[in-house]
Amino acid sequence: MVKKLQIHSTLTCDVLIIGAGGAGLRCASLLHEKKPGLSILAVTKVAHPQKSHTSTAQGGMAAVDPKDKTDKSVYHMFDTWKGGDCSSDQNVVKKIVEGGWAEVQWLESKGIHFSRDEGGGISKRQFGGHTVDFGKGDALRAVFVADRTGKGIMDTAWGEALKGGSRFINTTVVTELLFNEGCCVGAVLFKAREGELVTVLAGATVLATGGSGQVFRITTNCRNNTGDGTAVVLRAGLPLMDPEAVQFHPTGIVGPGILASEALRSEGGILRNKESEPFMERYAPKMKDLAPRDIVARAIETEIREGKGIMNPDHQIEHVWIDLRHLPDYVHDVKLKEVASFFKTYANLDSRTQLCPVRPSNHYHMGGIPTNEHGEVLTSANTVVPGLFAVGECACASLHGFNRLGTNSLLELLVMGRCVGERVLSYLKEKQAHAPKGAGEATLARFAGYLEAEGRENVALIRQEMREVMTRQVGVFRVEKGIREAIASLIAFKARAAKVGISTKDMRMNQELLERWELDNLLDNAMTIAQGALMRKESRGAHFREDYPERSDEFQFHTLVSMTDFGTVSFGKRPIDLSIYESKVENYERFGIMSRKY
Amino acid sequence: MSKTYSLTLTIKRYDPDRAASWLQTYRLDSGPILRFVDLFRRINVEQDATLAWASSCEHAQCGSCSVNVNGRPMLACELLVENAVTLFGTTEFKISPVTVAPVVRDLVVDWERAYERVHRAKPYLIKPKDIPPGRTEHRISPQELARYEEATRCINCFCCAEACISGNRTFIGPNAAMAGIVRMMDPREEEKEERMDLLYSEEGIYRCHTSKACSHVCPKQIDVAHFVALAKEGAF
Repeated sequence: MVKKLQIHSTLTCDVLIIGAGGAGLRCASLLHEKKPGLSILAVTKVAHPQKSHTSTAQGGMAAVDPKDKTDKSVYHMFDTWKGGDCSSDQNVVKKIVEGGWAEVQWLESKGIHFSRDEGGGISKRQFGGHTVDFGKGDALRAVFVADRTGKGIMDTAWGEALKGGSRFINTTVVTELLFNEGCCVGAVLFKAREGELVTVLAGATVLATGGSGQVFRITTNCRNNTGDGTAVVLRAGLPLMDPEAVQFHPTGIVGPGILASEALRSEGGILRNKESEPFMERYAPKMKDLAPRDIVARAIETEIREGKGIMNPDHQIEHVWIDLRHLPDYVHDVKLKEVASFFKTYANLDSRTQLCPVRPSNHYHMGGIPTNEHGEVLTSANTVVPGLFAVGECACASLHGFNRLGTNSLLELLVMGRCVGERVLSYLKEKQAHAPKGAGEATLARFAGYLEAEGRENVALIRQEMREVMTRQVGVFRVEKGIREAIASLIAFKARAAKVGISTKDMRMNQELLERWELDNLLDNAMTIAQGALMRKESRGAHFREDYPERSDEFQFHTLVSMTDFGTVSFGKRPIDLSIYESKVENYERFGIMSRKY
Repeated sequence: MSKTYSLTLTIKRYDPDRAASWLQTYRLDSGPILRFVDLFRRINVEQDATLAWASSCEHAQCGSCSVNVNGRPMLACELLVENAVTLFGTTEFKISPVTVAPVVRDLVVDWERAYERVHRAKPYLIKPKDIPPGRTEHRISPQELARYEEATRCINCFCCAEACISGNRTFIGPNAAMAGIVRMMDPREEEKEERMDLLYSEEGIYRCHTSKACSHVCPKQIDVAHFVALAKEGAF
């Protein structure tokens, strides 16, 4: 028997931060520093903030060191603009790039364990796409914590939020945003562990819920990245921006999708197909295996499509090989130690003597909840939603445009985390929260529906099929016919999802119920990605249409997509900010529309 | 052709609604390189949607999926079937939740309760040293960092605390102790007194019996016992 669902209680706070990863807790830390008495509620879906997806970022965080005579902010801005295929907002690029080193200093003063150089200073490394002098040379721009930079940042931000007195609500998700007279005044949460629905009234609400990588079969994203925040925003009648801009890393380890760093190829690793042919020679005769991420990813996918991939019998997925056998022991033992150990741990292979299986793996969603440069959420009419902020991967300001450079996401989440904190402070002076009528009714109806539904469909099976379809038809390669088929499949999945009967009726840590709700979120995200990809009849950054392989000036705008009923979308456009170019300052001519050639 | 193992997983289950606990056996065939989290996922798809289990990053970087496999605390996300068969010499596995935190349902525990110990150890700089004037960073040589860097790799999976023979009631636990020890060794921490008060308290490091079980089970291969030993000597 299903017990009648109800809102268990109402909590109040000054600031509600939903998502306690790097972005959310950087924001919390700033608020504690600037206004110690503030009551902050930090909500996380994972069992504890330290378990957040931020912790998995490996390589580094880009920041221009003012002491460095060879590097300049304008070079970093140029790289970001070019890397994003001329689709980043220049006001945001400028703000974030210029705010980078202050964040390095913040982390350093709060105890992060940056890797050091021989002089005892913070060490830096080179990263793909980061150059000096507008592409003329490689930039040493990424600070790092060995191969666990994200963990260093997460531990620091978590420590500071804890020290500052944030109240954490763990294993909890947001199910509904609350509005009163057009202002966001809080949210409804589902505390999954306790099985309770609660209402939170807040002076300001910050969404920092992370990505939606679980939409795809092979992903570097954690199990919890099911696009909950973006789905909840859609249901509130707000748009998403550039959802079709999805980055695939060329070399994920089969089957778990774990990222196998670019270093594999820069150290001399060679990609080979089923016939052992070093196929990159055919796709990029000059750069071969060192070609940019998207080119390598498309080459691998092409090989697989042409039947030159290898089927992994355990994970039932096709891949190509990366051959590292010819590299000296020193490279295996020292330079590629961590990645080599991944192959050992997750595939039981010795990279010294055996070929290792890799394939493109979903990595990052450049799109998300549209915000301005202060992290304030915008409507489809480009007006600010008072009281609602978004930051981190769930948000789209947009720094990354249609393709993100490595090390720019950690930079973004820190600078924007701080900026959102500052904006929240000035907003709080103006407004007080009031309870809206009917708060939580939508959530109660939705969850009651899940619990009462009958049928023999299985959530995990539908999810698995959805991820297959998205990977095959809205992944690295996209073509109109395939995208249309994917949309039809998503509609069929949605219908099947309604026939899922949940046998666990008790609400406490009800994995069946939580995953049923996640499935709706995944489907909503998948639908906006597919619809955006269908609308955008061009190729831009990571979005590649086989039927429209070139970038087109006709699509020189951000996609805004709203969805009232599943599958029914309406589009809007947001202009791409060109303020650096238009300012006519020194080097402005570098910030025009150019081709993304390396 | 890939080898197939016929596995028997006996999982300790718990239903909070009925406050009932029982052992449930699942049989499944698996290839050699599926991980235990993949097996749990397959059980959800093929046999039993109600089985609840925990994971997040699924590559040993978050420490959410710790479980006891045949009595040994391990991360389910990095335990491959063929490695488990080799390690335990059997295709039968008994899987139970860790005991350092109360069970919520099946294999899912309330990590928040376990983390209370880490929070008590204050996992941040209590009193950070100022960055020298005119500089944007401290000077810490790679050699100095290397003394404690290993300890900073801890992901708080609590496998060490689970294996610790000193028990969880009286000892703050190896990982929580290490959170304090790291900051004793970090030259940027100025508040050493308060840290020593905790490390040498009733729940502090003298509860440790030096069995080194912590180092033995650590999925990150951190020599936890080494850091506890440093603290016992006062050799920060």
